[in-house]
Amino acid sequence: MKIRYRPDEAKVEIQMSSMIDIVFQLLIFFMLTLKIVAEEGDFDINMPIGQAASSAPPELKVEYKVRLLADADGNLRDIRVGDKSLGAQVPHSFNLLNNDVRGWASSGGTYSDDLEVEIDADYNLHYQYVIKAISACTGFVQGDRKIKFLEKIKFAPPRRPAGG
Amino acid sequence: MKIKRSGSALAEADMTPMIDLVFQLVAFFMIVTNFDQQQADERVKLPVDQLAQPRQEARKYEITVNMGFIRDAEGRILSQPLVMNPETGEVDVLTYGKTQLPREAAIARAQGGDEQVSKTTIAIRADAEFPTGLVQELIKLAQEAGFSKFSLKAMAGEE
Repeated sequence: MKIRYRPDEAKVEIQMSSMIDIVFQLLIFFMLTLKIVAEEGDFDINMPIGQAASSAPPELKVEYKVRLLADADGNLRDIRVGDKSLGAQVPHSFNLLNNDVRGWASSGGTYSDDLEVEIDADYNLHYQYVIKAISACTGFVQGDRKIKFLEKIKFAPPRRPAGG
Repeated sequence: MKIKRSGSALAEADMTPMIDLVFQLVAFFMIVTNFDQQQADERVKLPVDQLAQPRQEARKYEITVNMGFIRDAEGRILSQPLVMNPETGEVDVLTYGKTQLPREAAIARAQGGDEQVSKTTIAIRADAEFPTGLVQELIKLAQEAGFSKFSLKAMAGEE
């Protein structure tokens, strides 16, 4: 077999155009599929069946009950902890709630695993206030750090409107 | 002055810097593109909270439930509270809880038994103005279907 050797063709030219075509296609695909959304975070709730029912067997858990009252439009009317009324100012009342829960969580001397917060909200209350209450009951922000002092949150059974 | 004229008529553009740049852009968009949030419904206006922590890693078994309203261009509410399900369209919350959730539980059970049902998290994406009672009703119906893990979604950030 004859092998041809051409010393003058040392530099091989690569065809770039097809690669560039594909790369541009990829670029356009990713540009179009990009959806800029704010990051979503979440609050975990572990609620096996039976735990929400009031007939659940008494456990060694220490409970903190937060009652959220709503007006007819679903806006917050009052936050109550036991007999204490914390008002309905956002975010002031939730800061009060946060301080109260922190005081309660650190005073008992128990592990935070045993502490549990129960949220008892009116049926028509806007969901955003529940999220604020959960946030106030679970942690706080110090500088850039998010500190969580409590993990267990549960809901009281829904308060269905009369006749509903 | 003497002007030098090169012999070649065909000017070859140097492609290398452009390709470098385009690759950088492709890499950027590949990293930024998030395919995880495909189940999220844009009509749901989530509540905002500074303590909401984005998850470091995605959950293996998760069912997203979008709960919101149909709104007009100005954001006024036009409908009853609804579950926005990509498969069935907009349905009433209680109907969804009574029909779709047991179906999801049956699918999970068929795939991996009761263990998979208990490992599955119901991610609730509810609108900021959604009635809390209905969110609770949905949680209750999900519990009856066999689910026990829930996560409430909120937008991370300051108000």
